[in-house]
Order: sequence, then C-alpha cells, then structure tokens
Amino acid sequence: MKVNLLILLFACSAGIALAQPHGQEAGYAVRQTELKQEPYSDAATTGTLPERAPVKIVSRQGGWLKIESASGAGWVRMLAIRTGATEGAGGDSGLKQLFNVARSGSSGTAVATGVRGLDREQIRNAQPNAAELGRMAQFAASEADAERFANGAGLAAQAIDYLPAQQPGSAGPAGQ
Amino acid sequence: MISRAAIAAGSVLLAALAAASTPAAAQFRFDLNRIIDTAKNIGKASTEISEPQEVEIGKQYAAVLLGAAPLVPDPALQRYVNTLGRWVALHAERPALAWQFGVLDSDNVNAFATPGGFVLITKGLLATMRSEAELANVLAHEVSHVVKKHHLNAIRKGAGMQAGMNILGDFVAQGSRNPEITSRLVSGMKEVMLRGLDKDDELEADRMGVVIAARSGYDPYGLPAVLQTLSAMNPQDSGLALMFATHPAPGARLDALDTAMGTRLERYAASARVSAEFGRVTRRK
Repeated sequence: MKVNLLILLFACSAGIALAQPHGQEAGYAVRQTELKQEPYSDAATTGTLPERAPVKIVSRQGGWLKIESASGAGWVRMLAIRTGATEGAGGDSGLKQLFNVARSGSSGTAVATGVRGLDREQIRNAQPNAAELGRMAQFAASEADAERFANGAGLAAQAIDYLPAQQPGSAGPAGQ
Repeated sequence: MISRAAIAAGSVLLAALAAASTPAAAQFRFDLNRIIDTAKNIGKASTEISEPQEVEIGKQYAAVLLGAAPLVPDPALQRYVNTLGRWVALHAERPALAWQFGVLDSDNVNAFATPGGFVLITKGLLATMRSEAELANVLAHEVSHVVKKHHLNAIRKGAGMQAGMNILGDFVAQGSRNPEITSRLVSGMKEVMLRGLDKDDELEADRMGVVIAARSGYDPYGLPAVLQTLSAMNPQDSGLALMFATHPAPGARLDALDTAMGTRLERYAASARVSAEFGRVTRRK
C-alpha cells in the first residue's frame, strides 16, 4: 500500500503522464442482454446475460465491452452495462485527509487536490487571470489547422441528424 | 459531461439573483428597481446580445476559471486540444466562432464551456481518458452547451433574471472599462459555475455531443465510456465534488443516452478513427 501510494503521488506530480490502469473494471447488466462472440451486432450469440448480472470488464471496442461473468465471457453492448455497482465499496480511505490524495473506485484513477484548483472555494476566491487568457488565445487552431489534422488522421466527416429528445412513455432502448 | 458552466450572455444574471446571499445583495436589489424600467422585455434583451458581446462575456468567464487554475504549461498539449476541438466544433451549428480550447492544470475532474466558444477541461479529467475518442466526445458535449447557449436557459429559470439582464446590459454597454460592473459580472459567473446548468440541458448536450463526435469521424461511444469511468469512481473523491454537484449522476446520464442512442449510432463506431497524437501528447501507450 505504501508503495502504491508513492507511485500515485509520483504519478500525480508527473501530471497527465499518468498511466491509467483501466483494465478490470466491474459492472453489472441493467437489462437482459445478448453475449456475442465478436463486438458486432451480427456476430454469433453465445449466451444471455441476465439483468443485474455482475460482470468484469476486460476490454472495449466501439460500443461493445468484452466481459467475463458467471454466464460466460464475450461481448455485450456498452450501454447495457453500468459501472460502480457496489454501494459503499469505495469509501474514503482516509488518505485524502492525510495526503490530499484520493484513490477512486475500481478505475484506480488518482485524484488529488491542491491549494489551487477548481473546488467550490477555489472558484469563489478566484480572480480573473487576463494574462492566462491571452496565453490561451495563442494556442487557438484555425479551421485549416483542423482540416489538416483530420486529414492526417483519416477522420471522415459524416452527415448525421441529432438524436431526438426522449419522449416520456416512449419505448425503451432499441438495443438489447 | 461535464460542466458547464456555460453561460452566455446572460448567465450573469443568475448571479445576480443568486447574489441575494452575498454582500452585493443590496446592490442587486437597487438594480432591480431600475431594471423594471430598463428591461421591460427580457426576451428581447436576451436576444439582443450580439456575438461579439457574447464572446466578451465568455472571455471574462474563462478568465475566472483560469484564475482558479492556469493552463497546463505544455504547448504541445494545448495546441493538440485546440486542433482536435476546432475540428469537432466544425461539425456543430456555430463553426465560425473563434473557438478556443484549453487544459487546466487542476486534478479536479471537470470540464467547462463559456459563452462565445471557450472550452476548458481539467488535466484530472484528461487523465481518466482511454482514447482520443473520449476526449473528442467530451469536447463535443461542451461545444453543444456553447451552440445552444444553455446559460440563457439557466438564467430564465432564475427569479433574478431582470437583475441579471441588467448587469449584462451594463457590461455590454460599458465593457470591462468599469471595474465595478465587471466585478459584479464575475461574481455572477461564479454562481453559475457553482450551480451548474439545467439538468435537461446537460442531457441535451450529451445527446448532441455523441452525434457531433460521430460527425467528426469519432466513435460516439467515447462519451458513454467516460461516463462509465466517472460512474466507477468514488463519488466521495473531493476532486469530483463540483462536477457531481453540477451534473446529473453519471448513471442517469448513461440511462438517458441508452434510450436516445439505442443502436442508431453503432455503425459510426465501427468506422471511427483516431489520430496518433493522443497517446503522444498525453504520454501514454
């Protein structure tokens, strides 16, 4: 634990160069859903995950999660799963008071608070920083910059309509 | 996601009203008396805020956030987020705004938009992300707040709308030349930041954000993935407190996206791409 804490503190001080151990998230099914052999809707169905079944999330691809469960392993639709199922499982470790660092839930993400920052009090006390606003403007990208970036990455623009607001009493999710 | 303290023109007003609990309350009450004369038509007043005025208000707002936490001193990172953000913003309704994006040097997990096209996310939120698609989706959510001027809605719901519109009007008329007006504007903005936007506006920004991300060629499931990360985090973390207080719970947002998305956007996930920049700039494998 001590070693972990040191690693956490070091990672925090290294800023965003923080390796995220995202493997092994826990979750549960919010509804009965099909287990697929591959992360595609037309892949073979290998079983059924019952509602409220606990799962271990192994990996992700697009809208699919690779999971392990008592009903078997396979791919399920991401939105059929919710994380953070266990109430109270991740209570305050006490480290927060000691070191101002908290370790978060099953994602293992480190969250630290400092003197400066975006807590309620810190925002209340904040004074506008015009110099930093000027610095921000220096990094602005033009439309041409953005197009170049997208072309380089092979990002293809798509024409897609916005999703309708949900109507009360309308049918539930279309996907299983 | 995330927060948004977006406001546009008028958010300020909210402040005004919210100010009943501040030392400035007396002043606001005084303002109320003359507002009734000057702002007879609130709806009209709110639509009369020009784009340059909206941008000016957004700048003041962004300056407050930057006063709470400066930018991460990493030009490559800031430039990357601007380029990606600009690309995403090109696929929403206000592509010609002078969009600016930034990563705040704070370990709190949050993101903010301000009127006129300013979007800030924290280093803490970025650190939880697995991919460029997740970042693109969060930026798209923030862009949605800006294009929909969600701060105005927040103001409309407040009892002190007139007072707020008045401050806004004063600011628009006199600009940042008048320090007293600017300071009232700033305290109003802070109230909006601390209160958050309307819950339905957050859900709307989620629904719009996934579509804007997909239009930009990104996997629209980046937003649900971020919400699953947030949902798995300990809500007692102090770094999450403000975001959780100003947004619907991540699980509720996932439920709403589940209903809205269904399988409609699945095919865009399959064809999605990412740049090689995310891993490099955030120094991750």
